[in-house]
Amino acid sequence: MLIIETFQLLLAGFASALTPEHLLMAALGALIGTFVGVLPGLGPTSAIAILLPVTAVLEPTQGMIMLAGIYYGAMYGGSTTAILLNIPGELSSVPTCLDGYPLAKKGRGGPALGISALASFGAGVLGVIGLVFFAPILADQALKFGPPEYFALMILALTLMVSLSGGSLVKSFLMGAFGYSLALVGLGPSSGMPRFDYGVPALVGGFDMISIIIGLFAITEVLKGIDEKRTATLIGKPGSVYPKKEDLRVSAGPMLRGGIIGFFLGLLPGCSAAITSFLAYDMEKKLSKHPEKFGQGTIEGVAAPEAANNATSSAGFIPLFSLGIPSSPPLAILLAGLMIYGLTPGPVLFEQNAGFVWTVIASMFVGNAMLLVLNLPMVWVWVKLTRVPYGIMAPIILMFCTIGAYSVRNSMFDVWVAFLFGGLGYVFSKYKWPVVPLVLCFILGPLLEESFIQTMAMGSGDLSIVLFRPLSLTILLAAGALLIISMMLNRRTQQRLKEERDRGVDVA
Amino acid sequence: MSRREEESLKGYKQWAAVMMSLLLAAAVSACGNQGTESAYPSKQVEYIVPYSAGGGVDLVARAAADYLSKEWGQPIVVVNKAGGGGAVGAEYALKQAKNDGYTALAVNVSNTTMLAAGMKTPPITNEDQVYTTRIGKGTLAFAVKADAPWKDFAEFSTWVRANPEQLTWTSVGPAGFSAFGIAEWLDAIGADFAKTRMIVTKGASDSVPKVAGGHAILAVHTVGEIMPMLQAGKVKILAVSGDTRSQFLPDIPTAEEQGIQGLSVFWWTGVSFAKGTPESVIRKWEEAIAKMEKDPAFLQKLSEIQVEPAYAASEAFTKETQAETTYYLELATKKGIRK
Repeated sequence: MLIIETFQLLLAGFASALTPEHLLMAALGALIGTFVGVLPGLGPTSAIAILLPVTAVLEPTQGMIMLAGIYYGAMYGGSTTAILLNIPGELSSVPTCLDGYPLAKKGRGGPALGISALASFGAGVLGVIGLVFFAPILADQALKFGPPEYFALMILALTLMVSLSGGSLVKSFLMGAFGYSLALVGLGPSSGMPRFDYGVPALVGGFDMISIIIGLFAITEVLKGIDEKRTATLIGKPGSVYPKKEDLRVSAGPMLRGGIIGFFLGLLPGCSAAITSFLAYDMEKKLSKHPEKFGQGTIEGVAAPEAANNATSSAGFIPLFSLGIPSSPPLAILLAGLMIYGLTPGPVLFEQNAGFVWTVIASMFVGNAMLLVLNLPMVWVWVKLTRVPYGIMAPIILMFCTIGAYSVRNSMFDVWVAFLFGGLGYVFSKYKWPVVPLVLCFILGPLLEESFIQTMAMGSGDLSIVLFRPLSLTILLAAGALLIISMMLNRRTQQRLKEERDRGVDVA
Repeated sequence: MSRREEESLKGYKQWAAVMMSLLLAAAVSACGNQGTESAYPSKQVEYIVPYSAGGGVDLVARAAADYLSKEWGQPIVVVNKAGGGGAVGAEYALKQAKNDGYTALAVNVSNTTMLAAGMKTPPITNEDQVYTTRIGKGTLAFAVKADAPWKDFAEFSTWVRANPEQLTWTSVGPAGFSAFGIAEWLDAIGADFAKTRMIVTKGASDSVPKVAGGHAILAVHTVGEIMPMLQAGKVKILAVSGDTRSQFLPDIPTAEEQGIQGLSVFWWTGVSFAKGTPESVIRKWEEAIAKMEKDPAFLQKLSEIQVEPAYAASEAFTKETQAETTYYLELATKKGIRK
């Protein structure tokens, strides 16, 4: 019954996503996203960060459709540069490099791109089907989520965030604390009183989320690009992008397995695409009759991680929409996008904004289909774009950043903040301090504080109420279990990344 | 005169001619602006909504901006500047922007009279603005969970009077209309406000579900804000305030009908300008909004978002807000809301 209802909502979502203007938004998002994604070094995270302010002026549904398009487009663009140029835009594209680049060197880059696009599409479909089954279960629980449950959820999100960002736990924790202290500036969420404004009027309104994100993810990338003097050299012609029958036959199994692993692990809040794409790649290598050929250009080695990568990203929308927990950096920025539209993700989102949520879900499907239709024939255009000199791209990106930071509140203060955080981000990346905990704590910190104060009000000043409610206790226990699982998986991924770095893959 | 001098003189003459014509043009246009009052607005007007898009104030402002843009043939652009319970946007429109009539504020009860009463040093006060026109108002509704044990508001009030420490209620902010509505009601029934527990939320979209899910007992919001959860069957409304029933809820009795007198807190929204804005601008807005509130298409829009038309011209509007401030100040001081 519930599933039928959800299916009807999904159909309504498709009806809305297929209207000409929404189709246009999805197409624009996919194209622009691919464009930014193929620029060497710029991955989905920076693509979304740069384009977030552009979508912020749109009406929420259109804006989110475009953002989802940008996300998928940039992921696809990232695969293109991973295969053709050996430059992964994002950690999750590293496994794609392993066999994709050798294939490109052999002149088989085209089929590799084709398989990658097909795998992405298939995984996208899987994600939508998964949402149809999972969403009603979660939406049904929506009203059971009160302040103590949200408080437990925030604890879960922040724990995973600290454990997942890779590298040193102490650094993650300190960056998180820094992000949270930035969130304290401005009017208190419960008191409505200004705090930490030091008498500066501009600080009373607090720091703007978009300007911090633009600074850390877009301006920092530009600075890094200038520093590294990024140039892209293409090896060989990619050849036809349409895979042969033989290619399809050998990659069908890996695609399916990769997609399933990616999807189910992606449901775990905090399990990132980097984790699942490495798992899928390694599993195919173990299952293969010719494991020695992996790393030298096997099509299965592209199909499995690409499918896993995209399935995880699609599945990641489930914890994002239903619990407000982003599993990867680009989803963290999408979370910011949702909040800018005044849509706080959580169990209530499906209940109160069903039309919006299902339109966005349907549009992801549309966006993936568009990537397939639009991008395969255009692969040469994208390849040529990677040769645009950075000296031309950098100022254009900076211009977008400036306009974007200014336009949110029409204030120059936000522009200065963006540039300040651009510089800070550059320093952070140089000394390997992770910025994702900073952003997540900045975004989720006020929610943690708010749910804490609300819980205290409910319990007459006694926080132990969190431990005596079955749902919040379950979430807290799940947080503990997930923390252990994710630390184990993460250690494994770090180990694999190190191995690939040692073998000379250009890992960001 | 040498040729060189002649050339430089020619250059100077050309320069002088250009400058003179520019000056002349400037003078003419300046006269035009001052001479004919009907020239306002001669360019785009920024209409600041101090809340995020989609709320009641925003929806009313957008409907008004739509109407006025057509009426005046100039774009009236709604700009959302949210934060601080409406204080950030209001501070911008009233104190930072020029008072030339090209920055209007979508003013609301929570960021004016209640803010002034609720805070000892409010960032904006009644004196910073010219209350221009009130556009719409909304009745407060008292909502509890759909399967709550109380059958009417009188019975609920009796229970609260006996068990104030058990009453948890959600509000839109520390000094917003929910807090004032509840303080006034508790005062009327003789229950202890200080013993009840306020759960501060971000707004109606966050507050009503908390009551629907049983995490808090009572939510007090405008009728329009409760409507979605009421229609979904998750909450029930025990009473509305005011002396007449809400046109959107004809079956729900008022508090007065149930024997609880004196609930006067209501939600309203309108337009105000920074102090020192030209009188002609104020008159122009008053007249246009008076005409707008007779327009059937506009009234239909208000009805769709469950807001009642409540036109008041500048003088009456100002008087009412002054009286309201005095009343809220007394209420806030008595109940310890003032901080």
